Parts: sequence; C-alpha cells; structure tokens
Amino acid sequence: MNTYMTILIGSLLVNNFVMNKFLGICPFLGVSKKFDTALGMGMAVTFVMTAASFVTWIVNEFLLLPFDLAYMQTIAYILVIAVLVQIVEMALKKLSPSLYQALGVYLPLITTNCAVLGVAILNTDEGYNLLESTFNGFCAALGFTLAMLLFACIREKLSLAKMPKWMDGFPGALITAGLMAIAFQGFGGLI
Amino acid sequence: MAKNKKPTFLSVFLNGLIFENPTFALMLGMCPTLAITIAGSNGLGMGLATTAVLVCSNLLISILRNVIPDKVRIPAFIVVIASFVTMIDLLLKAYIPALSASLGMYIPLIVVNCIIFARAESFAFKNPPVLSIADGLGMGLGFTFAITLLSCIRELIGAGKLFGVEVIRLVLEAGTNWINATFNLELVAPVYQPMAIMTQVPGGFVTLGILLILVNAISNAAKKKAAAKEVQA
Amino acid sequence: MRNNFAVASSPHLRSKATTQRIMLEVCLALAPAGIAGVILFGWRAALLIAVCVTTCIVSELLWQLVTRQKVTVNDFSAVVTGLLLAYNLPASAPVWMAVIGSVLAIILVKQLFGGIGSNFMNPALTARAVLFISWSALMSAADPAPISAIYDPIANFVGKLGAGGIDVLSGATPLNALNAGSTEGLSLMSLLMGTHGGMLGETCAIALIIGGVYLCIRGIADWRIPAAFIGTVFVCYFFMGGAEMALYQLLSGGLLLGAFFMATDYATSPITGLGRVIFGVGCGLLLFVIRAFANYPEGCSFAILFMNVATPMIDRFTMPRPFGEVKKHG
Repeated sequence: MNTYMTILIGSLLVNNFVMNKFLGICPFLGVSKKFDTALGMGMAVTFVMTAASFVTWIVNEFLLLPFDLAYMQTIAYILVIAVLVQIVEMALKKLSPSLYQALGVYLPLITTNCAVLGVAILNTDEGYNLLESTFNGFCAALGFTLAMLLFACIREKLSLAKMPKWMDGFPGALITAGLMAIAFQGFGGLI
Repeated sequence: MAKNKKPTFLSVFLNGLIFENPTFALMLGMCPTLAITIAGSNGLGMGLATTAVLVCSNLLISILRNVIPDKVRIPAFIVVIASFVTMIDLLLKAYIPALSASLGMYIPLIVVNCIIFARAESFAFKNPPVLSIADGLGMGLGFTFAITLLSCIRELIGAGKLFGVEVIRLVLEAGTNWINATFNLELVAPVYQPMAIMTQVPGGFVTLGILLILVNAISNAAKKKAAAKEVQA
Repeated sequence: MRNNFAVASSPHLRSKATTQRIMLEVCLALAPAGIAGVILFGWRAALLIAVCVTTCIVSELLWQLVTRQKVTVNDFSAVVTGLLLAYNLPASAPVWMAVIGSVLAIILVKQLFGGIGSNFMNPALTARAVLFISWSALMSAADPAPISAIYDPIANFVGKLGAGGIDVLSGATPLNALNAGSTEGLSLMSLLMGTHGGMLGETCAIALIIGGVYLCIRGIADWRIPAAFIGTVFVCYFFMGGAEMALYQLLSGGLLLGAFFMATDYATSPITGLGRVIFGVGCGLLLFVIRAFANYPEGCSFAILFMNVATPMIDRFTMPRPFGEVKKHG
C-alpha cells in the first residue's frame, strides 16, 4: 500500500510531470487558454497514459526482455503508443461519438506528447511491476491534468488583466508557468 | 524571407537557423529546451544530437518521399526517427557516457521532439534530399544555438559557471587583483552567490519567457526597419 | 478588470483613494510587528525594512515611468509589499538579497502581469520563495540580536518578560524543536513576545495578533481566511500532538504573519465567501503537510503560494453563475 501512496503523492505533486520534470510542455502551453479544452486534453492524456503504461510493460516484459531486445525500447514504445492512440481514436469513434467529439481533436497530438513516452521509460527505469506501472501512468497523468487545469484557470483570469502587449502568448505563458513552478517547489522531500 | 526566389541550399539553411528558428520563432521542442538547459555542455550536446537525428531523418524521408504512401506516412516517420534516435542513444552511451548520463531519459525522448516530426512532415516529405539536408542542418543548428544560449544564461547565473568553468569567480578575483595592484590596496575579492533557482524548474520557464520577449522585441524592431526601408525605396 | 472584483462582499479596489486608504491601514497594522522586529533584532532589521520598502517604491516608479504608464506609487501597495518581504527575511540577510527580492516582487510578479490587482501570486511571498530556493543558507532564521548599546533598556525589558531571556533561546528556532517532536525549552511567553530565532517580522506573536485583529475588525481583511487557516492548522496538530503542541505550532514560524497579512491579499485570494473558507482550509492543510513531512521546516509561504495558484480555480467553481448573470461578470 505504501508504494502506491508514494507513487500517488510523488507523481501528482512532488515530481509533477509538467512542474518538475518538464514533460508534456507543448500541450501544457498550447491548449491551456481555456478551461474546457484543458480538461479535454487532460482526460485524453490520462486515458492514453494509463493504457500506454499497461501495454508498454507487457511489451517490455514479454517481448523485449526475453528476446534480448532492450535496445529497441524506444522504437517499440513509440510504435505501441502510436498504435494505441489510433485504436483509442477508432474505438471512441465507434463506441462513444460524444466522447470522441470532445477528445477527438487532441488524440493525434498525444502521439508526440513526450509525457506518454516519458512515463513508459520511467516505469521501465524504476522497475515497477504491472500494477505499479499502470497506477504510476494514471497518477502522472492526473498530475499533468491538475497542472493543466490550474494553469488554464490562471490564464483565463489573466486574459482579463491589463498585461503589457509583449507578454501576450508564449512569453506570458512561460513566465506564468515559472511562477506556478515556484509554488510546486514547496513539496520537495514529501516522499 | 523572400518567398518568390527559388530556394537554395544557403537560403533554406539560413531560414532554419535564423528566420524560422525552431525555438524562438516556431516554439517547437519545448521539453528538452527547458529540461536539460542547466549547463552549457548539456545544451550543446542535446542540440548536436538533435541536429544529427534531424539531418539523417530529413535525408532518408526525402529520399523515400516518393515511395512512402501518403496514408502511412506518420508511422513511417516515427519508425525512421526512432531508429536514428536509437543509434544516437547507443553511440552516446558508448563514446560520451558522461553526457549520456546527464541527459538521461531526454535522449530517447528526442523521438517525440516535435521539431523533427514537424520538419519531416512539412519539409522533407515535399523537397529534394539536398534541400532537406540544408533544412535539417539549419533547423538543428538553430535549435542548438537557442538551447546553448539558454543553457549558458542559466548556468552562469545559477551556478556561476560557463561550460563548467567558474567564470564569475575568476573574473572577480582577477578584477580585485588588478585593483589591488594598481591602487596598492589589499581588498578581498567578493564571493559570488549563485542564484540556484535559475538551474531549477522555475528558472527555466522564466528565463525562456524573458528571452522570448527580447527576441520578439529585436525581430519587431528589425521588421519595422525593413518596412521603413521599403517605403523609402 | 475592476468588474471582475465587484462581485465580492468585502471592500475592494474601487478607486485609487480607497486603495490608498486600505494600504495605509495595512501599513498601520503591520507597524507593531516591525517595531518589535527592530527591538528584537537590532539595527539590521530596520535597515532591511528600509531597503525593501525603498527598493519596491523605486522599482515600481521606474517601471511605470519607463513603460509610460500612469504612476500609481502613491497607492502605497509597493510599501506594503516591501514591508511584507522585509518581515519574511532573517535579520542577518545581506542587503543585496533584499534588493533582488524587492525588484523581483514588483517587476516579475506584479507589474509584468499588469500591476495592482492583476498579479495571481502574492509578490512578497513569491520573492521570498525565490530567495529561499536560491540562497537557503543565507535565508535561514536569525537569532535575536545580542543586546546592543542603543536598545539596551528595551531589549533587556523584553528579554526579562520572555522566560529564559534572549541568551538562552539562541540557536534553533522553535519550529526546529517542535518538528523534532518536543515542546521542551519553549515557553509560551517567549513565543508571544518573539524572543526566539526566526524571520525579523514573524517572531512577535502579540504584535501580529494585534495588527491582524485590527485588520479584521476594520473589515479590510476577511476574517474567514485567517480563521479557517489557523483553525485547520490547530486541528491537524491537535490530533497529531495534543493541545499544547497545537498551540505552540500556531505561535511559531510564519503562520500568523502569513494568515493575517499575506493569505488575505485581495488579488490572490478567492472572491466568494465559500471560496475563502476553502482557501484558508487548503492553506492550513498544506502548511501542516509541508511542516510535518517535507524538506522545508516552514511551509507557510509555499502553502499560501500553492493556494494562490489554485485561487482562479476555486473562484471558477464557487462563483454563483445563474442564467442571465453571466454577462454581467463580463
């Protein structure tokens, strides 16, 4: 049980993917202007990251390790993720058109979201078992979503402020994210 | 960038290096840009590794552009890029283990660096091999320049060093010695207290933000100047 | 921008005159703690307060002149930021650190985001956190000054009131002892009078309580935030270590200064009443978690900063938005 608590707090707050590991920065900066889009992206990423953690563990354990193919890790993982995203996209289209409507636009972007490949590599490096890997993927994605939603709310509020013109767009977003990261530093050493 | 002229090796190269710099103009590849830029050597290493992958993948995709069907181009790109990244990863592990260790998981993550993917999709798949190499070199070196600059700023303020050399301490000591020798004094050199937050996460975000503001200001001023010139002409 | 705030129940930044009055009252409420700091820590405390306040005013003035904005230095908000930053520094902090902190607070945290009312994080606290992360050795708590010639009579008097006196309590701050799990060697009197190690404006609990209660009574600070904040910390520590432990925890570290003066900052705390209670409880829980389990001995500034970050989200979910009213909020 303790391991899971550590993973939860670690991935959610202490080693937050965006605020401490710089993973998934592109969607974090790109689709965070509005709360609703941030929520959609967060849900899509959560779905894919959890599934990717599960599948990459199986691939690693039953394909790469037995056949001594560990050096193929990067290729194998990225292919798994690409295929997974495709399957998720097709499945959603068939099973839940409304959810597909909400998440569809974000799905293709996720293949190149480094948070997904990042969590797969981290799981392997940490030597987590299947359940721990999946749980870690889920928690890391939750952390990503949390940071994303907090950031989106701040940006919505700031859009009403009289910020200098040259702060518009990326420069302002980066400095805002930097200040947010200061607040996240306080969790150092929690686990 | 003059769009009416026929693209040459040089113009494509300069376009990537300066006019459409992947970091400052296109805002691509943010994760490594922020994550590993805590020391000049890291920035240079990551930049060159990315450049190598970019040139190779651009070349191969450009050669194969008439062979790869449009529909499966994205998986094809992924396989090509991932193969080159794996090669670079293994080469670095074998020959520059120190760099490999300090870049860690961010080397395999070059696969998902959107610069490479974006160049494959928007340039190499549509242009001949020679131009694609130029584009890869220009974009890669532009990226290298940007992240090395960012690394140096963060390393200098955050650790008082440049590429591992304690520059600030040396300068302060040399300056104090010079003053002591010239004015016959016995001053003690001030000690530089590095601003550690610069090498941490908040420093990365804020430094890049401020750098972007400066770059935007410069490019806006340049554009205004060019516009004024055109009016005169 | 201003419309955004008009929904709130408390007095808000309606015009410059009221901003100025509010900020002046905050300065007044902060005065006792500052005077206590100077008495306890000696001339360096006075120097740091002066440096912070001056640098804040000058940076705001220069920034507004350079960017050709209306100069609003006379609203006294920069003075408040300077005072709060100084109170969060140890008396031993070098002057250059106070200058860097003040410039960061005013320019990076406040003016870049559009000036007063637009910043989403408390400027003084953010600056303190930056200094703390960068130079943690220089930011570690200072002891009360050795009794200097000038302050001899007063300091002697205060020293006698605080049981054990100044000399005995030099060394570790109360929090270090408390976090190690013991209340030994601490006296309630010393905690109230502030004759123990700490940041220069946070040690004298009595002065802070007087100032804080004044702000709440005058309606400048919403009492719900400090009440929820302090109450949550008390409850958490009550269940962890009993009533005595909880009381000592309340009086040590930066909790009182943070709860009364920094968590209640208008621009960075929620607008609705419910939101403010959530904000206060969140601050209290995070402070407990960081004090009890994380690297840093004092979690107050990080707890408030994190809740600052969460404030827009809290507002989003607590703001009453019936149909037809949405447009009015704009």
